[in-house]
Amino acid sequence: MDPKKFKCSSCGLTADYNHFGQTPLKTAKKNIVLLEKAYTMRNPFKSNDGEFLVVGAHCSICGDVVCVDPDCSLFYSKRFCLNCASNNINEFPLPIQKEILHNCKSR
Amino acid sequence: MDSFNWERHRTTLNKIFFRDKDFIKEGTKEYDDFWLFFKKFQVYEARRKSKESHSASSSNLSSSLDIPMQYHPRYRINISIVTKDIDEKVHSHRHHKEKKKRKRKHQSYDDDFGCEDDELSSERISQFRSVILHYLDFCQKQDFVKLKKLKTEQANLPIAHYKDEIVKAIKENKVAIVAGDTGCGKSTQVPQYLIEAGFTHVACTQPRRIAAISLSKRVAYETLNQYGSEVAYQIRFEGTKTKATRILFLTEGLLLRQIQQDHTLKQYNVIILDEVHERHLQSDFLLGLLKILSSSSHRDDLRLVLMSATINLELFSEYFQGSPVIQVPGRLYPIQVQYLPIPVEEQTGKTSRLDPRPYVRILQRIDKKYPSSERGDLLVFLPGMQEITTVEGASQAYAEETGRWIILPLHSTLSIEEQDKVFDMAPEGVRKCILSTNIAETSVTVDGVRFVADSGRVKEMSYDAQYKMKKLQEFWISRASSEQRKGRAGRTGPGVCYRLYSEDDYDALADYSTPEIQRVPLDSLILQMKSMGISDVRSFSFIEPPPEGAMNDALRVLTEHGAIDSDENITALGEMLAQLPVDVAIGKMLIMGSLFDFIEPVMSVASVLSVQSPYTRSAYNNPEACTRRRPIESDHGDPITLLNLFDEWIQMKSDSRSSSRKWCKRRCLEEQRFYEMANVKRQFQDLLKDNALLAAIDDKDIPETSYKRRQRHADKKRLRELKNEERFQSRKRKVLKRTDGKYEIDNSDDDNDNADDHPSTSITSNVKDLEFKIRHDLDKLYKASSVRRNFTLRDIIMLKIILVSGLYPQLAFPDDCNNYSPDSDQIFHTKNKLFVVLHPNGYFSHHPQELEPTGREDNSLKKEGQSGHRGLLGHRHQLLTYVSLLETTKPYLVNTMRVPALQTLLLFAQSLDTNADCRRIVADGWIEINLVDPNAAQSIIASMLQLRNAWDQLLKLRLEATKNESHEGFTLVRKSKKLQHFLSKKLAEFLDSRLEYRLRRFTTLERQKLYVGPGVNDDDVVEGGFGISMTKAAPDAVKGGMKLADYLTYNCLQELEESSLSGDYLRQFWTCPVCQIKMPMTVGERLRHQAACGGSNAEETNQETAADSKTSTSIPQLQRSYHCDVCDEDFMFSAVEILKHKRTHKA
Repeated sequence: MDPKKFKCSSCGLTADYNHFGQTPLKTAKKNIVLLEKAYTMRNPFKSNDGEFLVVGAHCSICGDVVCVDPDCSLFYSKRFCLNCASNNINEFPLPIQKEILHNCKSR
Repeated sequence: MDSFNWERHRTTLNKIFFRDKDFIKEGTKEYDDFWLFFKKFQVYEARRKSKESHSASSSNLSSSLDIPMQYHPRYRINISIVTKDIDEKVHSHRHHKEKKKRKRKHQSYDDDFGCEDDELSSERISQFRSVILHYLDFCQKQDFVKLKKLKTEQANLPIAHYKDEIVKAIKENKVAIVAGDTGCGKSTQVPQYLIEAGFTHVACTQPRRIAAISLSKRVAYETLNQYGSEVAYQIRFEGTKTKATRILFLTEGLLLRQIQQDHTLKQYNVIILDEVHERHLQSDFLLGLLKILSSSSHRDDLRLVLMSATINLELFSEYFQGSPVIQVPGRLYPIQVQYLPIPVEEQTGKTSRLDPRPYVRILQRIDKKYPSSERGDLLVFLPGMQEITTVEGASQAYAEETGRWIILPLHSTLSIEEQDKVFDMAPEGVRKCILSTNIAETSVTVDGVRFVADSGRVKEMSYDAQYKMKKLQEFWISRASSEQRKGRAGRTGPGVCYRLYSEDDYDALADYSTPEIQRVPLDSLILQMKSMGISDVRSFSFIEPPPEGAMNDALRVLTEHGAIDSDENITALGEMLAQLPVDVAIGKMLIMGSLFDFIEPVMSVASVLSVQSPYTRSAYNNPEACTRRRPIESDHGDPITLLNLFDEWIQMKSDSRSSSRKWCKRRCLEEQRFYEMANVKRQFQDLLKDNALLAAIDDKDIPETSYKRRQRHADKKRLRELKNEERFQSRKRKVLKRTDGKYEIDNSDDDNDNADDHPSTSITSNVKDLEFKIRHDLDKLYKASSVRRNFTLRDIIMLKIILVSGLYPQLAFPDDCNNYSPDSDQIFHTKNKLFVVLHPNGYFSHHPQELEPTGREDNSLKKEGQSGHRGLLGHRHQLLTYVSLLETTKPYLVNTMRVPALQTLLLFAQSLDTNADCRRIVADGWIEINLVDPNAAQSIIASMLQLRNAWDQLLKLRLEATKNESHEGFTLVRKSKKLQHFLSKKLAEFLDSRLEYRLRRFTTLERQKLYVGPGVNDDDVVEGGFGISMTKAAPDAVKGGMKLADYLTYNCLQELEESSLSGDYLRQFWTCPVCQIKMPMTVGERLRHQAACGGSNAEETNQETAADSKTSTSIPQLQRSYHCDVCDEDFMFSAVEILKHKRTHKA
């Protein structure tokens, strides 16, 4: 499992990811699945080999690679980069709309 | 969620969700965390639901994005748990439950009444599952924040902007210099940059072990490799390096050792020398070595990176000409400097103590100017421990009066627990005032310091090569270190630095501190250089060469110890000494110990002398602790007392019922030191084994019992767990609390030995305990220490002789006027340094009576008007050997041991000079031995010659044997065994000698008129005069007389009175006690014969010892009378001796 480079198109965060797909990691416990195709790495803050950390995924609208930081993207049944989310803000339920506004401001 | 009682179903839930193969396992930390989260989440959900019911804004509009418009937090989570097997589990669980219920209903009807609501329905199960999902999501977010924070911090470091420049410079040049001040991030980032740039084996040296460890932890964390070994450290006794390691932090000393083994350092492709500006001895040497290596063609691929502060940069760039220098700004907050010179009346004179008032005024000044609500601690730099105690007393009074300060001392002799207090927090409205030596300048970094008060002074060790004496002297600091001290105020926010000197004083300070190489003994350094094949040490290209005189002194010391010969070439002994990471004297002890199969106790003594003293600061003024230690003390002196302490500690350690921690605490001893001793000892053992000086005892001979093996594996596993625990539980800062007028750490209970209750200390001490047990075979240690409890006096004397063989010429002679009472200083003289006193903490300064000379008054001297102990005639004169000389307020002898004078001097003196009848012997030109009986005198000199010959030969054999391991080596070993046997026996006799003598020290004036001078008493050169074996002799060109051995000059002393009739010219019939030859000989001739006759080779000595063992008086039975026709003489010869005698004629 060679580490590959992940780079967020929004904030520029880089990280070596170990796996891309709907299962978190080859070594991870089998009963977990992801609801999106995501970039995962071995969780560096846990001693256990099976632990994973999702770093980012592709925006379901524009396809850009974004990290899971709330300043860069949000997940609501699908992944949206903050740009696409704010462009389509009216398509989201209210609590999410509030959040998009808040995150855009904080950015 | 409602009031449903989840706790009731915990067991069931465990079976469904927290099995071994599940993401969260029952019984782990995550599991506990989950339940905490679960409770909080329930509360949160309850609140959310009540809110939602008010603002239920469910729009049924569909979204063009194909997402549910009916909001539910569930959709915000991108993780799901596969449910198939959970459903099965739930089903089977329900089935099981039903059955149970039915059963129970038969037994009792009241039991389960009306509990339908409490049932774990499938809705409940899915509710629970969703909480798990929320928990997983929460964890993911938390860890992602960590990741992001780490990456942002890295990007924000000043050095991050120079990343490309640095990498480029290193790639394109063999040597590059990175200069940056505190906080720029060079130590953590540069190794990472290099790994990213494709280098695979990066070594980074650190001057301090702690830094190597903490940097490796930090960089491992930053490279997201906290749990791997890609980033590792290696220090003297431990390391985390594996094959996967790409970045290694190691100490300078360790890299030096590695260069010794592999001159080209093939294992690395980049070497970073960090903190080179600190100019430690080893880093200066490394600079020189690596400069040579990088300019040689052997390692064209090797890259060298020097990292330093921005001070004295020209020096380095000049040394490595043409190398690029990248300067990175530091990151410090602005610091305001105030000069507050101490008024004349409060200044410290040469002898008076420091006046604490100016320091107390700083506390007052801070109190006046800054509200106590503004946090920020004060760090005071004082010259030394004594000054710290003075200021501590005075400011303590102020602190108690105001209740606004906690006074904490910080210096290296404090126990580790006491030192750690400076990291604890002061309560609200109270500031810490840390009174520190220069230890806080670089080694210890305390966060939260806003104010610095700088005395401008430092106590530093310097070295007086003439007396081989260390001196602790007070100096002005350099401007560089004054800036460094100031910088300590600006690490966490803007700060203030009060300088207790004027701006003019500041301007007058030296630019930089004196580098270590200019002020320490160079013996070990030069020996290392020699062993690396640097023959011309004087022309080695140091960045700043050490003074020529210091080099010459070191070379002289090495010659005296036999580590280099008169042409300054390294000897076999020197090669061996260079392998041992200790002082030459201690190394020599070890080698000599291995000659006599007496190595076990010698290794222990060498270890106890190589680590810091285990006594804590309060050890000497705590009467209870002193009483408890008394039974362990040895009247032979400090080294043996320390050995006993170490042995006793091991006994405590192996007794599972007793706590070694408590034992140490009650005796005011620092347990850490004992662990260090055990480690050092283990290292000696390994090194001696590697060099074949210690027979590798095959542990495999004694099969390990399966119980023991299991135990060991269990211990190892437990250690791993504990270490992991320790890693997370990095010492938590505690809040300091005020008790009994002093501030103590909250809930610590130091006096009641309950420190084990501290979770953090107990983990650390458990780790140490386990590590100790795994690393060392406690049984073996225990046995050795028990053996020593049954040591006879003779064993101890033997041990002492071996110790002195290393320590010689570190001897002190008692002053005639000593009164040997504990109330006053006992004065001693070394050969070069007069008037030194016993160190107040040493054994003999409490028990000087042990040193009182015994013997009877000698009338013949009395009438000459000599008084005191001078004329005492006896066989128990004693000298003191010492491990070091240290001058603080006075010159002190440190770690002293009493030794028998005659034997020590005869065995180890570099030069022994005698008069014609050998009754007067002068050792090393400063101590005179006066024997009564000339025959006894001659025979003891003869024994001495044999002993020293045999000893030399044994040493040679042993060192030779270490070089070849073939069968030739085996015969060498056999030979040396015989020699060893002979030597041990002879030595025992020699040490038992009860010859009476007087002992006297020469005054400097007397020393000048000691010898008859060249050309006198040297005209009887009869080479092989009688055809019997004799050692060579030659006139001594300086002293006069005959040089009978390297160390023995016969008849070169000026006679004091014209009484000696038995001069050298008078031949008397004499029978050699060894070979029974009988002939007329002068005293000189006899000695020469005896030196050759006894112990000249192993075969001979073997026969003799065989004969000796039959009749202890050494009259061989196998001899018969023999008449030699060539020399026309009658002899008593054995068959072999006849042959030998004949052979001398042929030659």
